[in-house]
Amino acid sequence: MPQPVYLDHAATTPVRREVFEAMEPFYGPRFGNPSSVHRWGREARAALDEARERVARCLGAHPDEVCFTSGGTEADNLAVLGPLRAQREKGRTVIVSTPIEHKAVLATVHHAAHGGVTERMLVVTTDGVVDFAGSNGAIDDSVAVCTVMWVNNEVGTIQPVPEIAEGVKARGGIMHTDAVQAFGKIDIDVRKLGVDLLTISGHKIGAPKGVGAMYIRRGTQIDPLFHGGSQDRGRRPGTENVAYAVALARAAELAVEEREQEWARLEALRDELEQGLVARIPDAIVHGRGARRAPHVLNLSVPGTDSESLLMALDLAGVAASAGSACQSGNVTPSHVLLAMGVRPELAIAAVRMSLGALSTPEGIARVVELFPALIAKARRLSGAA
Amino acid sequence: MSERVLVAMSGGVDSSVAAALLVEQGYDVIGATMKLFCYGDDVPDRPCCSLDSINDARRVCERLGVPHYVLNLESAFGRDVIDDFVTQYAAGRTPIPCVRCNTFTKFRDLLHKADALDAQWIATGHYARTRSGELLRGRDLTKDQSYFLWGIDRSVVRRMRLPVGEMSKPETRERARALGLTVVADKVESQDICFVPDGDHAKVIARRLGQDTPALSRGPVVLLDGTVVGEHDGYARYTIGQRRGVPGGFPEAMYVVAIRPAERAVVIGPRAALLGRGVVAREMNWLVDSVPVGTRVQAQVRHRAHATAAEIVRVDGAEIELALEEPVSAITPGQSLVLYDGERVLGGGFIERGGAARTALPVLAA
Repeated sequence: MPQPVYLDHAATTPVRREVFEAMEPFYGPRFGNPSSVHRWGREARAALDEARERVARCLGAHPDEVCFTSGGTEADNLAVLGPLRAQREKGRTVIVSTPIEHKAVLATVHHAAHGGVTERMLVVTTDGVVDFAGSNGAIDDSVAVCTVMWVNNEVGTIQPVPEIAEGVKARGGIMHTDAVQAFGKIDIDVRKLGVDLLTISGHKIGAPKGVGAMYIRRGTQIDPLFHGGSQDRGRRPGTENVAYAVALARAAELAVEEREQEWARLEALRDELEQGLVARIPDAIVHGRGARRAPHVLNLSVPGTDSESLLMALDLAGVAASAGSACQSGNVTPSHVLLAMGVRPELAIAAVRMSLGALSTPEGIARVVELFPALIAKARRLSGAA
Repeated sequence: MSERVLVAMSGGVDSSVAAALLVEQGYDVIGATMKLFCYGDDVPDRPCCSLDSINDARRVCERLGVPHYVLNLESAFGRDVIDDFVTQYAAGRTPIPCVRCNTFTKFRDLLHKADALDAQWIATGHYARTRSGELLRGRDLTKDQSYFLWGIDRSVVRRMRLPVGEMSKPETRERARALGLTVVADKVESQDICFVPDGDHAKVIARRLGQDTPALSRGPVVLLDGTVVGEHDGYARYTIGQRRGVPGGFPEAMYVVAIRPAERAVVIGPRAALLGRGVVAREMNWLVDSVPVGTRVQAQVRHRAHATAAEIVRVDGAEIELALEEPVSAITPGQSLVLYDGERVLGGGFIERGGAARTALPVLAA
C-alpha cells in the first residue's frame, strides 16, 4: 500500500518531538507534587509556574489568568457553567450560543437550560458564519454568558468573535470563545479582545490528549466544576499534571512561532486540494466556501454519495478523513453543523472533512486529488445501479 | 490479491468466529457492526447491538488484525424492520423481525456497503450453509437459522459466506477460545429481539403508536362461538398458542387461537382448535427454480418447530397454499412459512392464515 495520508488533524495531531522531550523529565526524576514543600515539590512547582507563564505569553494573558484543564471539553464546561451562579445573582439568566458549536459547548448549554437558564441561539448563515448583525436583540442585559467558537471544527469558518465580544461586553455579559481550532491559526491576544474566557486544547497542536487550558480574565467570577484542594486558586482542584502543562506550553509556543508560516503552507495545500477536487468533481459542494476559513479544513459533499462508505473506502486506501467531529461509537450521523447551515440532509450525510496539519505534504495532497474522484465515480456508479 | 469479504459482526461469538475463520481461509476481511437503533437509556445491557457489542466487535477485529467499521443503518432499519414490526402487531399478527432484518438490512443494505468497498463476499455468523448458489440448513440442526434467511434475494446467496454453518455451537465456542477471542467466547446468547428491551414488545409499540393505541387497549376475550368470557389489556400482548393471561375455569386448558383486531378480540379455545392442516403464505421468495403445484416439500411454520411433510396445492403470484400431512399446532399469521427439501431451503413467505386441509388438488382456472 502506498504511504498513508493523514487528513484528520482537526480530530487530533501527533505529539511533536520537541513536546515529547519537554515533558519527559517529569516522567523521571522531576516527579514531584507541585503542592509539596520539599525540593521535589519545588521543582515541580517551578515547572508548572513556568508552563503557566509560557501559555499566558502565547495568549497575551497574565499567568494567573491561565487555568490548566483536562482538555477542551472540561474548559468549555467550566466556561459555560462556571459563571452562572454569580451571574444569576445579578439577574442574568440567558446563555447565548450558536447551533454550530462543538458538542462540548452545545451539550453543556443544553444541560444548563435544563437547570433553568434560557438558551438563545444566534443565527448562522448558509456559509457557516454567525450572522451577528442579523441576530437582532440577542444580546441584552439578561445575558449571563455568550459562547461562540472562533473557528468551526467541521467547516473551518472563522466566526466574528471580536465583534460579538464587543457587543456582549457593552451589555455587561461574560464572553467565552472556544478557540480550540483557532489557536495556532489566528492571532490571539486577549489584551486586544473583549473575551473573558477562552478555551484551548493540547492535542490539536501537537501536545498529548488530555490537556487543555482556559484563559480566565482577572475579575471573572467562576465556580469550579470540581471540589477539593486549592490548586489553581481553587478553580481546578486536583494535583496538577505537570508533564502535560509543560507539554501544552511547549506546543503552544511552537504553534505561535510558526503560525504565519504554517497558515501560508496549509492554505496553499488546502487550496490545491480543494481546487483539484472541484475541478475533477464539478458538482462537489464545498461547505463554507463563501466565508473566511481557517486554512486547515476542507469539508465537501458530493451529491449521490454517502460519507460512511467514502470514509471506509478512503481508509482502506490509506487515507484518513472524517465526517465531522468524531463520535463515540465511531459511526456517522448527519452533522448538526451542516444541518444548522441549512444543508439538505441527503447532502449532509455525504460530507467528508479533510483537515490538514503537520503531516500534510504536497505528495499526500496530490494522491488524494487523484484517489478521491475515483472513489466518488465508483460510489455514484453503485448508487445509480442500486 | 485475496478476495475481500465484509463480515457483519454483532460482537457475539458466532460472527466473531466467522470473521476469524475467514481470516484463516485467507480472505481480506473487513468487519462491520451495524448500528440499527438508538441506544436509549432504557436499553442498557443488551447482549447484542449495544455500544458494548460494538466495542466487542472492534476488539475482535483488532485481535484479528482487520479493519472494523460501524455502519449507521438506523433509519433504514427503523423503516424496514421496526415500523413493520409495530404495524404487524397492530394488525393482530405476530411478526418475525429477524427475517426482515436479514432480507433488507443485512443482505441488501450491507451488500451495498460491500459493493462500495469492493468486497465480493458478504458474511455473517448464521448457522446455515450455502452450496452452489443454494441455501442449506446449518449442520447443527439444534442451532439452524435458515428459517430466518428465506427472504434473501437469490442472487445474493451466491455472494454469501456462512462459515459457522458447518459447526455446532459448542464447536464455535471452542474455536473462539482456541483463537483467543476471550471477549466473546463465553458470551450469553441473545434470545430476545435486539431492539425490544427486556422482551417487552408492548413498550416498542407504545413508543411508536402511543400508549392508547387499540392494539394495547382493553378488549374482550371470547370463545370461538363469540361468547365473551373476560377482558384483556391489549391484543398485541397475545400470540397464537399462548396460555399466559388466558382466563381459567374451563374443563380443559385454553389457548389463544385467533386475534381479531377489528373487534379488538382475543379468541381462545382448546388445544384441538390450534391444529391446522393447511397454511397460506404471501410475499413468497424462492431460492430455487420453479416449484410447481403438486410438489411435495417439508414445511416449517415456526423457528425450532419440526418441518412437516406437505404438498403445494396453489401458487398464485406471490401467494401459496399448502396442505399439511399432519395437523400442525399454532400456525400464526406474521410468522414465516419456510419450505425445505431435506436440507435445501426452497423458499418462504409470511403466513397469512392457517388454511383448511385440501386433500385434492383444486381446480384452477387456466
